[in-house]
Amino acid sequence: MTLSGYEALFFWIFALAAIFAALLTVMARNAVHSALFLISSLVSVAALFVLAGAEFIAGVQILVYVGGVMVLFLFVIMLVNVSAEEKGSEQIFNKQRQVTASLIFCFLLVAGVLYAVNEGYRGLKSHRPLPEAAVGPPAEQSGPRTATGTSVMTKDTERVGSSLYRYASLPFEIASVLLLVAIIGSVMLARTLKQEASADDVDPDVLQEEIARDPELAKFEQQSE
Amino acid sequence: MNMLNSFIPALAFLFQEADGSRLAQMRHAATNPDLSKFLVIGALLFIIGVAGVLTRRNIIVIFMSIELILNAANLNFVAFSRYLQETGNMNAVAGQIFTVFVIVVAAAEAAIGLGIVIALYRNKETIWVDEIDLLKW
Repeated sequence: MTLSGYEALFFWIFALAAIFAALLTVMARNAVHSALFLISSLVSVAALFVLAGAEFIAGVQILVYVGGVMVLFLFVIMLVNVSAEEKGSEQIFNKQRQVTASLIFCFLLVAGVLYAVNEGYRGLKSHRPLPEAAVGPPAEQSGPRTATGTSVMTKDTERVGSSLYRYASLPFEIASVLLLVAIIGSVMLARTLKQEASADDVDPDVLQEEIARDPELAKFEQQSE
Repeated sequence: MNMLNSFIPALAFLFQEADGSRLAQMRHAATNPDLSKFLVIGALLFIIGVAGVLTRRNIIVIFMSIELILNAANLNFVAFSRYLQETGNMNAVAGQIFTVFVIVVAAAEAAIGLGIVIALYRNKETIWVDEIDLLKW
């Protein structure tokens, strides 16, 4: 796979944007700013997916991550808002020693991973030489034109969809069960004491203690027979 | 290529013919990013995420760093998928399918993790991970 021309230009733009936004995500003082930088990093990575010929994955990335997960993050930041963070009175990083140790570890990881990528890619190229002229998958050269006639419709989504249901249908079903478990689990985890009391799901001793502290809660206690 | 030269004169020199020297090779590598460039970008995103997990105190930002790590893995999957498509491998979209499942698991993980954060905040009134030390001996 070799990109060229405008594709190369956009590759570098989006790659730098992704890395810059990821750095700002980690370093921003305000958690809301972190979330917004993470959104821009995810969108840049989605653009890289398009450049790598994975349009369907790019769309899923935008819809699920940016549309779903990041909205969830922003809601939780809103719910557990800690104003001390924004005033600058709280330290956003760990203690000095821990940060130094982890940055040394990360530096070693950078060196090791980049060395491994370079060596591995050189080995891969010598092991299985590819024609340098191959610009895109052959599927992109032929096929129906789009309405304006300027570009060719790719078969990427079709291929991903058919493979997903043919070869990966069991993992697909397992993933749906996983999502169901996640829905139920997050609802159960995020309940308030009132909701737990009205569902009669609290230890009676704990409930009596809490009622002694907050008489309002007695209303929600469910009378068992 | 002519259009490119006229629109972006600053970059035009990058597209001159390679003459075999080391600089020309680097120029060729920069203007023709291949699989290894995708892998390098993925590695850098991964390491930024690891640094975020290890250094930040805010549990929500730690979760965001985990999302960065998962995204770096997705980038590698997609890049290898594209690479295998050009070798004529029949099952070359396996990487993209794996990416779909990684995104599913990331969404489930974010929902559960943020539910835990809310429950924790309700009980401990803090989101700083170094103050959550109930299991510390």
